[in-house]
Amino acid sequence: MPILRIALSAALVCAPALAQWLNYPTPGIPRLPDGRPNLDGPAPRTADGRPDLSGLWEPVGPANSSFVGNTARDPQFADVAKEVKGGLPFQPWSANLLKARLAADSKDDPDSKCLPLGPIKMHLHPYPRRIIQMPGLLVILFERDTTYRQIFTDGRPLPEDPQPGFNGYSTGKWDYDTLVVETIGIKDGTWLDVRGTPLTSAAKITERFRRPTFGKLQIDITVDDPKAYTKPWSIHVDQTFAADTDLLEFVCLENEKDQAHLNGGIR
Amino acid sequence: MIIRHATLAPALLWFIAPVFAQWINYPTPGTPRLPDGRPNLSAATPRTADYHPDLSGIWRLEPAPCAADSIQGCGGDYRGGPEFGNIGARLSGGLPYQPWAEEFVKNQAPDLGKNDPVAWCKPSGALRLLTYPPYRKIIQTPVVIVLLSERDVTYRQIFTDGRPLPKDPSPSWNGYSIGKWQEDTLVVESVGFRDGTWLDRRGSPMTEAAKMTEKFRRTNFGNLEIEVTVDDPKAYKRPWTIKLHQLLVPDTELLDYYCNDNEKDSAHAVGK
Repeated sequence: MPILRIALSAALVCAPALAQWLNYPTPGIPRLPDGRPNLDGPAPRTADGRPDLSGLWEPVGPANSSFVGNTARDPQFADVAKEVKGGLPFQPWSANLLKARLAADSKDDPDSKCLPLGPIKMHLHPYPRRIIQMPGLLVILFERDTTYRQIFTDGRPLPEDPQPGFNGYSTGKWDYDTLVVETIGIKDGTWLDVRGTPLTSAAKITERFRRPTFGKLQIDITVDDPKAYTKPWSIHVDQTFAADTDLLEFVCLENEKDQAHLNGGIR
Repeated sequence: MIIRHATLAPALLWFIAPVFAQWINYPTPGTPRLPDGRPNLSAATPRTADYHPDLSGIWRLEPAPCAADSIQGCGGDYRGGPEFGNIGARLSGGLPYQPWAEEFVKNQAPDLGKNDPVAWCKPSGALRLLTYPPYRKIIQTPVVIVLLSERDVTYRQIFTDGRPLPKDPSPSWNGYSIGKWQEDTLVVESVGFRDGTWLDRRGSPMTEAAKMTEKFRRTNFGNLEIEVTVDDPKAYKRPWTIKLHQLLVPDTELLDYYCNDNEKDSAHAVGK
């Protein structure tokens, strides 16, 4: 009997370890007595006393939001202006550009061509992302297309003449418990959502990251792009901690058969 | 006095210049320096708070002597190591291919690499990520070590939180990697690779039967030795081991290199 008990309990203990890696319990997170993650506790802090934004995060949508597979979708992914009262302050040309993109069923969305999405649309993408916060650097690893973004927190200034890129160039500074990130150097042609809301290389993006509890990440984003908009505008993104899982390898170009069938509404 | 101020002004400009210059020239913080300001690459290996060697930094594969470097040529910013062209280039006797694998490599030559997954902007896979001419950045935390690759702005995770290898991993380009410290060597084991992976330009294959062991040793500030053993009984008659010597690249940063951005090449790929 004692032998049997030991054998059984050993099997129980080993089971999660040998299970699929997606179910591996995230080490070092607070748990309730029943073993479930306790997401309502305080945010963790780094050795230097800053909130630690590290962890796996997923966007939260309203209760009635649609789903991609089993992942909740923030409706701002489709329409970044969803919560902006009165809509976005478009310049005339950018309003027309959005109209044209909508008329073509958004067929030229960089996402459907497996191109990078840029920092704002990446915050809203349904697939999870991992933030790794280190002294001097914060890195976001995205499941979508297995790509990353760097935010330098080592005190360096923004470059004067950045190389235009999909992610731009980002530096971050702490303002009490808020990480304030400024980004410039985004390339022209960026889409902020599935509709095709434009962003130009004149844009300056400010993101304010806050982790009010263990399980919550809040990102306030201000877009100041005088080429495309008559004044700056802001949105809010909520993300939730994804415990006991990990990033899968998602490669957009893998066995990609969709692009050839995008016809822009010609039926 | 006026003259003194006049000479001071250009000196200040000179001093400030690097800060406002292109971001790829920003001095890497925390780099030990010689009296003249150049990075001291023979300084001691840096260590983390838990006293493991810190592998963090931007690295490139030691390039081949010019004449031997037939794939990348000798010019350009990105001189490759010979392993980029042939992962067994410095292995005496070459790679111990199984007959089908030898045939596969032979058949690729007339196709001029047009079947190479990376020619179609597919991922390079975990091992090739270490031989690619564009740089890679290692970031190290106590629970995970991440390789950020300039090529295609992609990454690979190595878990160092004590988790075991999965029993039935989802096959992927990077596989699934766990690392453990043995003294000053990080020993990384990986499984879960997918069939159809190319390890080099000539097409040396890797199959999902592969198990890879990497030993990372940062011998001083500027040098990282990675000893790689590939045990893939489906494609190779026996395990083989290579050394990939990586050199630190200070005072620069990774650029955005997206293979699929404005990609016009694959339509023109020719071959037999």
